[in-house]
Amino acid sequence: MRKILFFIVIIILIFSLLNFFKKEARSFFYSFSAPIQKFFWRIGEKSSNFLSAIFKATDLKKEKDELEFENQELIIRVAELNKLKEENKSLKQALNLELDKDFKLAFAQIISKDISQDFILINKGNQDGILENMPVITEQKVLIGRISETYKNFSKVMLISHKESSFDAKILNQEQCSGVIRGLGNFNLLFDFISLENEVHPGDIILTSCLGGIFPENLLVGEVKKVKKSDLESFQQAEIEPIFNISKSSNVFIILEF
Amino acid sequence: MIRNTLIFIVIFYFLALIQTSFMVHFSIWGLVPNLILFLVIIWNILEKSKNNFGIYQAAAGGFFLDIFSNRLIGFNVIILVFSVIIIKLFLKSYVRIPFLEK
Repeated sequence: MRKILFFIVIIILIFSLLNFFKKEARSFFYSFSAPIQKFFWRIGEKSSNFLSAIFKATDLKKEKDELEFENQELIIRVAELNKLKEENKSLKQALNLELDKDFKLAFAQIISKDISQDFILINKGNQDGILENMPVITEQKVLIGRISETYKNFSKVMLISHKESSFDAKILNQEQCSGVIRGLGNFNLLFDFISLENEVHPGDIILTSCLGGIFPENLLVGEVKKVKKSDLESFQQAEIEPIFNISKSSNVFIILEF
Repeated sequence: MIRNTLIFIVIFYFLALIQTSFMVHFSIWGLVPNLILFLVIIWNILEKSKNNFGIYQAAAGGFFLDIFSNRLIGFNVIILVFSVIIIKLFLKSYVRIPFLEK
């Protein structure tokens, strides 16, 4: 018993000291684990896709038909938006206004997810010019999170669903309807502090707003799943289904400048 | 004992990698099974109560859980070590599994 107590005291002391060098200790393990983690991530993604194809085989045909129809609608919409974009550009030039710049991006790959919290590890770090608080998105401009900690060749990304994450957002095509997205942990989001006067419906698309300056404007966040409205509360809330799905994403982009 | 310890360190290292990179794609409602916790508990239930190898094993498992998470290093070590001690005390005082005692 005495031996066990002595062992416990020793490990508590060792790990207390190790916490002063936790960044270096983690960086050491990440550096040689990264290739193995990348391999497991790819295998997991492929296995997951294979298994979901088997279990959801009956729904696939229906989903395929729906997606084809939606794709056709989106092609028409993209053509209309391109036309508007060109018009907008010409008008801005005519009025001598600054044109919208595309983001300066850095490409990275996800190699692992934190065991207990909403964090992921990507394979770019300080050496690649990555700094803390830089936003992280997918190639479809879907918001994933922001850089919370950087190492030499790796960075930790705090997902938007993390409990400490909050930022301003709005509903697509309703500029006046704004609120705050709060992470609830475990890939859950809440759209909070929405004015009672605004109409929010399931299926509404949530985008980032320019208030707060944490993220660039108009990045996709999620879709309203359920609205909670009560006359006894000062604000209404909505449960949000995030658009990003880390088990189906390997590639991400870090916004270096916005 | 040292050989067994090294074997378990390697096993826990790979379990931590599998948990954080492979099992993520098979999460249920966002939850991923904690393979290291599962192995530590099973080992300590099956181990003879007078042996203490399971406690050292729990420390190693907890260390790798901490390295691949965002928590303080030592957090999972302390939880696992104390859990194992409680399991051992409980099994020693209240449970007898005859075929394991042989």
